[in-house]
Amino acid sequence: MNDQGKVRPEDGTVILVIEDELAIRRFLNPYLKGQGFNVLEADAGEEGLSLADSRHPDIILLDLGLPDMDGLEVIERLRERTDVPVIILTARGKEEDKVKGLDAGADDYLTKPFGVEELLARIRVALRHGRKGGEEKPAESFESGDLKVDLATRTVRLRDSEIHLTPHEYGILVLLFRRAGKVVTQKQILREIWGHAGHEQEHYVRLYIHQLRGKIEDDPARPRYIITESGVGYRLKEE
Amino acid sequence: MTGLALKGELARGPFRWLPYGYVLLMVTACTAVDWLLYSHMDLANLVMVYLLGVLVLAYFMGTGASILASVLSVVAFDYFFVPPRFNIGVYNIQHLFTFAVMLLVALSISSLTAWVKDQAVMARARERRTAALYSLSRELAGTRGTDQLLQAAMRHISDNFESAAISFLPDAHGKMTVRSGSAAEFNLTPREMALAQWAYDFGQVAGRGTTVVPDAEALYVPLPASGVTVGALAVKPLRPDRLFTMEQVNLLETLANETALAIASDRLTEENKRVEQQVENERIRSSLLSSVSHDLRTPLAAIMGSASALLKDGGSIDAAGRRDLLENIRDEADRLSRLVNNLLEMTRLESGAVEIHRELHHMEEIAGTAIARMEAKNGDHRITARFPPDLPMVSVDAMLVEQVLINLIDNAFKYSPARTPVEISAVEENGGLNVRVSDRGPGIPSEDLDRLFDKFYRGKLHGPVGGSGLGLAICKAIVDAHGGSIFAGNRPGGGAMFQFSIPFESDKA
Repeated sequence: MNDQGKVRPEDGTVILVIEDELAIRRFLNPYLKGQGFNVLEADAGEEGLSLADSRHPDIILLDLGLPDMDGLEVIERLRERTDVPVIILTARGKEEDKVKGLDAGADDYLTKPFGVEELLARIRVALRHGRKGGEEKPAESFESGDLKVDLATRTVRLRDSEIHLTPHEYGILVLLFRRAGKVVTQKQILREIWGHAGHEQEHYVRLYIHQLRGKIEDDPARPRYIITESGVGYRLKEE
Repeated sequence: MTGLALKGELARGPFRWLPYGYVLLMVTACTAVDWLLYSHMDLANLVMVYLLGVLVLAYFMGTGASILASVLSVVAFDYFFVPPRFNIGVYNIQHLFTFAVMLLVALSISSLTAWVKDQAVMARARERRTAALYSLSRELAGTRGTDQLLQAAMRHISDNFESAAISFLPDAHGKMTVRSGSAAEFNLTPREMALAQWAYDFGQVAGRGTTVVPDAEALYVPLPASGVTVGALAVKPLRPDRLFTMEQVNLLETLANETALAIASDRLTEENKRVEQQVENERIRSSLLSSVSHDLRTPLAAIMGSASALLKDGGSIDAAGRRDLLENIRDEADRLSRLVNNLLEMTRLESGAVEIHRELHHMEEIAGTAIARMEAKNGDHRITARFPPDLPMVSVDAMLVEQVLINLIDNAFKYSPARTPVEISAVEENGGLNVRVSDRGPGIPSEDLDRLFDKFYRGKLHGPVGGSGLGLAICKAIVDAHGGSIFAGNRPGGGAMFQFSIPFESDKA
């Protein structure tokens, strides 16, 4: 995973920015061009959707607060036609919208105001998962920092000493590794691990993450591997 | 005081034969007794037995029955005992006199007894009326809110009048709509609703037993409070054949008046509270404006200055200087962002627009996200976290509690020197979680301790430290909303300490 995280987007990767605020586009456009992207801009949902149809962008940045339509609707209509990675942009305090957007098929999110380092990191992760043609590419092992997961033997090692996880803990860890760097909502974890997702069960996820951290993190209040995205879900940090 | 005997006094229905049966029975019984006594007693003593019978009937059956009994007694006495026996005829003039006196005495007994009884009944009615009024006003005095007042009154009325009761309040167009009570008991046809409207519009009773649609299902009574009618109520006897007496209608009107006055006074109190709240809001708004205008302008001035310096610079600023200016822009924008967040959060909390989504969380995880956010912004302090691994989950709104921790950490950063430790810890105590954020700064002057959580209050020590004075007020508002408490103090060995507690079980859940 490590070396893949450092892949620079190739020149000519097409990025579509659907954002109505000129002030945001004004700094996104030159920065992204400077990074080698081919930037397309749309200031409304309909225009964004038609550009997505005609120009087949490699990745889309989507502001959820558009003047002409609900951002969720844009995601749903995009997902009817393409698997292109979508990163949503929203303000703090709109965590429910983020979760809805992610559950509707968006790949990741960024909270405004954000810095460009964060933006670039998200774009790279999303592009990498997108390029593989699906996120669940079979792998034999995962690794981040001192943590290693061997899928064949179902063993987890921290600094070369084996760690014993329960099946659920192991399942959650592998799920997060498969989507390393990307946010995974609590609902997605529930659905993948338990097979169903009710809002009432979300605290089970938190309970298992707490136990998992107790086993793999040196200081669980300052997690190195499993990062909490407040009100949204979890993200496995790549090192 | 419930179950007053008003129940027995619903108006008399159609003519009833039963009392007259008792008259026959009583006269027969007296005759039988006299029959046994006849050979041992004077005729005069036999009369006494009949008089006794009349007295008993007068007390229990009323005037009509006792008058009939008086007459029948005289006839029976004459027929069975006065010689010649078994004959209505009278041969001794003395006996005629006996009959006359007997009849007179019997009739006097009848009317006197009835009068005494009426007096007693009236006295009891007065007593009941006072008691009913007293118990209603006592109940209303302890109740707040129009709907609650109406519910209490309807409950009271239906208990005391063996009736179903509902209340009506006017909608925006002055049209009566059902508010509280057992509406299922009523068949609210347009005709019945029109009567409720009539009672409300004209301020007079209508419906069942009144001059306005006397055959209606229920009696409609207005709810008049000094000068305005606040609504109306409907009372329907549980037994469909019953009518209300004048006295009961009067009592109902008095109770309705009492209820209406309570509602009017409650509304006045609410209105006063609202006005006070408005005044308070105005005050907050004006101090907000003065505070915000300063705190917003400072970072804006810094951003504007730095950016224009970079733009207009003709190459005189070196690379390090340029970087410094750029960092200044970023840091001040960050400060502005936090200030705006706090302002928005406070406004939302104040206006009640924030819904609390309580779910089970580990405090350690919430503290972890707060620490990560704060450390990303400020590397000058060392944060240490101590959470027992077996600390139970607690039901909180994670985003809001994260905000509390961020504000407390921000505070600790601001008021303590760089590279001093900021400690976060939590323990389970007294059925809740106590979370503590402490620093090794100069501590809090004792005169500030009480006012620290007030809006826009800035400690005596604030000096060059920026801030709106909103952070701690937000903390308090959030902790309060969780049914918890927050306080500040000084640590032994120096430094400030903030502690908030969140109960595991809260009635606000």
